[in-house]
Amino acid sequence: MDLDTVKERAGPREFDPADDLPEEYRKAATRMIEFHANSEIMGAYLERPFIRQAPSIDRKLAFSAKVQDEIGHGQLLYRAAESLGVKTREEMLDDLANGDGKFLNCFHYPMEDWVETPMIAFFVDGAAMRRQATLRRTSWEPYAHAMDKVCFEEGFHVKHGEDILRTLMTGSRKEQKLTQEAFEKWWPRIIQFFGPTDDRSTHHDFASAVGLKQQSNDELRQAFLDQYIPKARKYGLEIPDEPRIRERDDGTYEVVEDDLDWDEFFTIAKNEYEPGVGQIDGRKKAQEAVEWVRDTLESNDMPAGNQPPQAAD
Amino acid sequence: MSATLESPADLDDEEREALETLLKRLGDDEYVLAERYTEWQVKAPTLESDLALANNAQDELGHARLWYDVLEDLGYEEHELVYEREADEWRHSTLVERPFAEGDWADAVLRHYLYDVAEDIRLDALEGSSYAKIADRVGKIRSEEEYHLEHASNWVERLANGDEGAERLQDAVDRLFPHALTLFEPCAPATGAGDASGDEDVEETIVSAGFRDATLEEMREGWLSTVVPFLDDLGLETPASELVHFDEYEFDVTEDVLPDAVGRDGSHTDAWDDLREEFTHTYRELERSEATKIMDKPE
Repeated sequence: MDLDTVKERAGPREFDPADDLPEEYRKAATRMIEFHANSEIMGAYLERPFIRQAPSIDRKLAFSAKVQDEIGHGQLLYRAAESLGVKTREEMLDDLANGDGKFLNCFHYPMEDWVETPMIAFFVDGAAMRRQATLRRTSWEPYAHAMDKVCFEEGFHVKHGEDILRTLMTGSRKEQKLTQEAFEKWWPRIIQFFGPTDDRSTHHDFASAVGLKQQSNDELRQAFLDQYIPKARKYGLEIPDEPRIRERDDGTYEVVEDDLDWDEFFTIAKNEYEPGVGQIDGRKKAQEAVEWVRDTLESNDMPAGNQPPQAAD
Repeated sequence: MSATLESPADLDDEEREALETLLKRLGDDEYVLAERYTEWQVKAPTLESDLALANNAQDELGHARLWYDVLEDLGYEEHELVYEREADEWRHSTLVERPFAEGDWADAVLRHYLYDVAEDIRLDALEGSSYAKIADRVGKIRSEEEYHLEHASNWVERLANGDEGAERLQDAVDRLFPHALTLFEPCAPATGAGDASGDEDVEETIVSAGFRDATLEEMREGWLSTVVPFLDDLGLETPASELVHFDEYEFDVTEDVLPDAVGRDGSHTDAWDDLREEFTHTYRELERSEATKIMDKPE
């Protein structure tokens, strides 16, 4: 199939491994899905310590399940990416370990306190939900199929994140104050989740033309702000003064993009932001420490998994 | 024996104390083991093993929740049990509190195996508990633990197949076997520090009241006769010796193999303080006074 045919046919779930697709398409789709899969893994890496720090058994169970779901999403997405025939899962995981694999900006920042957990589990996951919901109509069928399951589980994560936020914001003054501080720290990063505006976005045009991407950064950011600014306020969070946000006459919001730190964003995008580098290396070190197990499995000539992944597949 | 005791009101003081002690022993083992298992989330050797271990961690947490919930009938609340209890009031075996060295998957799967064999034997002995709520909950726990045991023994067998795996497993056996023996030590009474004779009394009541129908000694024998031959077949040495008496084989371990801290009496290894510090951190930091419940009470 040539590129013009791809563009002509590009519709929801239009292509699958039976189609002979041009390299440009397969590479672009791999890049997009690999980014998504890597983000699941690095998000899980960031949230893992809070399984232990959760202040109740129920919260602990929910956090453990969330981290497990994310690893499961990673597994599904790597499979969807692998099916494009460009890279194997091992190659993608190796690239993630050696600092070549790219992933979401928010997961390059360290997370230190429980009050920060809803910033990811409610706001970032909420932002991700919006994006993922549109990807159920992406043109690469295995990706869209993975999104059905991911969206279903992500819905629970966001509800849990919202519940943590509610508990914190109806807790003691100290809890409320610490939560507000965490929100101020994370808010600009959350807005940057959607990346630069469309006119500055590198991959948008092609991904959109071949139906991989269903909505632009601008549309997604807009929908997120309109939905989540009122939600943040509902829980008593104050929207920080910067970046400046203007409310239009029709009740929608507009961000002054120049107030956001785009140098930092692009440093992150190159995997060169210091805390993020530490997180990449931390995961790499943990993976190297169990290299011997993978070697043992290989030399035993047995499959790497010892059971069908139950909860995640 | 079928369950005849429906509520704490049916118990005398001695029985009540014994029940409380038994439940702490059960709940604490599961809770602390789960804490350790979750350390492997995002750090297991493969995505598949990561998912499997996360499952087990959540199962153990769920079981802890079930046992702590029975304790709530005796007047305890979760925040008191998990977040406010002093370190020496915990009754778990030291096996479950030991830290993992980074990448030591052999430790994880061996511990998993040693624990799950004991858990299987223990659940057997609780199935006919005279205390209704205990008997009721064993079934649910059992169905999950059977799968855990299979998972753990598969992994131990696989690792034993490779040189590095075998060496690491032997290290883990040397380190963990003594701690595993504490699974069968008597507990100090649930409140306050006990002395050895008090501990034996409580243990006796646990059996005589029918809360559990096997003694620690019987369960220990059962455990040794499963674990020792299994490890032996894989070429792994244990401190147990074989006693041959006519046609009966038995295994025994001398008292001096037990570690200094046995957990059950409230003495713990220093790893326990660090672990407890970490899991109570948020609760203390936010000055909470209760643990948020988001799920319905178990039936």
